[in-house]
Amino acid sequence: MALALLTLVTACVSTAPAPPREGINELAAVPFFPQTEYQCGPAALASVLVHSGVATNPEVLAPQVYLPGRQGSLQLELLAAVRRGGRIPFTLDAGPDALLSELRAGNPVLVLQNLGLRSLPRWHYAVVVGYEPANQRVILRSGTERRRQERWGRFMSSWARADFWGVVVPARGKLPASFSASSMGPALAHQEAQLDAAVARAAWERALARWPEHPDILFATANARRQDPEPEAAAVLYRRLLLQQPAHPAARNNFADLLLHTGCPAAAATILEPVLAEEAALSASVRDAINSTASDIASLLVDNSTDPVYCRALSGDLPWP
Amino acid sequence: MLKSRLLIMLQIAAFLVASTAGTAQAAVIGNAEHFAQQHRSEQLAAIDAVLAREVVQQQMVAMGVSHTDAMERIGALSDAELQQLALNLDTLPAGASALGVLGALFLVLLVLEILGVTNVFTKI
Repeated sequence: MALALLTLVTACVSTAPAPPREGINELAAVPFFPQTEYQCGPAALASVLVHSGVATNPEVLAPQVYLPGRQGSLQLELLAAVRRGGRIPFTLDAGPDALLSELRAGNPVLVLQNLGLRSLPRWHYAVVVGYEPANQRVILRSGTERRRQERWGRFMSSWARADFWGVVVPARGKLPASFSASSMGPALAHQEAQLDAAVARAAWERALARWPEHPDILFATANARRQDPEPEAAAVLYRRLLLQQPAHPAARNNFADLLLHTGCPAAAATILEPVLAEEAALSASVRDAINSTASDIASLLVDNSTDPVYCRALSGDLPWP
Repeated sequence: MLKSRLLIMLQIAAFLVASTAGTAQAAVIGNAEHFAQQHRSEQLAAIDAVLAREVVQQQMVAMGVSHTDAMERIGALSDAELQQLALNLDTLPAGASALGVLGALFLVLLVLEILGVTNVFTKI
């Protein structure tokens, strides 16, 4: 027992990374809602949501996230409630480094802490708003304390026991600071169906402005524009992506489908043709989509027919292989 | 509990078999699908979404959430999230507070607290 305890102690202590050297400006404007019994979920959530510009409070949020049978709130439901508020939750994927870069960018971070042990957890939500290097203290909105200070190492081990789970809720049209183009794509796409279309579109456009040449961001933003529907604006991005990656099967398929639905079946056929030859190497779902587009084209394309003049502006002068 | 979970698993398995046979064809590759190809596990999750929705709703109501609230909460969850909740609603971390630590555990925690490993006994 003693040995097991000792192992546990060392394991916990060793999880804390070194504290940062410089301080981080405390985000004093982040509002505080003192929690009532078991209600730290709604309280912490209200804090970040109000800071992002949503008019709400813990009483409004409790019926959205509190689970009486568990006397607490689940992480996934906090994310869902953020979306219901018209904001996008971004779950941090880089632990302490991400926490610090978000704070430096002015984003408070809602964190899950395990104040107990891994084997005997006490789960708690709080909002990190700053760090003071002088006494190595993390500043949090937590429980009934507006400005709770926790030692860096102690905070880090409690956060590590909750697998460094943290969420950032940027203001509308803003993105988190700690994401790369390749982590932003899936983070947005996986919750896009639960977001208001305008909210999702704004986020993709913002991502595109930050990473104008990233293939996944180009593809996803083109799809979002297409749904709005803004076919011309979408076509610009499909073309930009295909110039960069002429063999991109999904982009060719969706671009062809767009051309087909704007009355340009001949251009659609030209775009789709190269992927039809390489079909065998594709995943089943992409292959199905391509076959479906091909048969749609075939049903609309009359022998040797030419597209209307406006199609040229949509399909552009791609160097067709 | 174990029995009901077994039942859920069986239902999901049956659903998987039934739904993979006749996947609807779409001509456009959506964002969720495109990124799911990069993360294959998400694809599996999407298949049993309908069943997961039902399971989560039943469990939420059993845990004291009103019918109307449960419906609205489920509407804001993605298929992958619903599937995760369907199997783990009773075990996933539920953030609450540090209050309510019980009897025998008190001593162990007190020792760890003194050693500086935990911080259960600070104000909430």
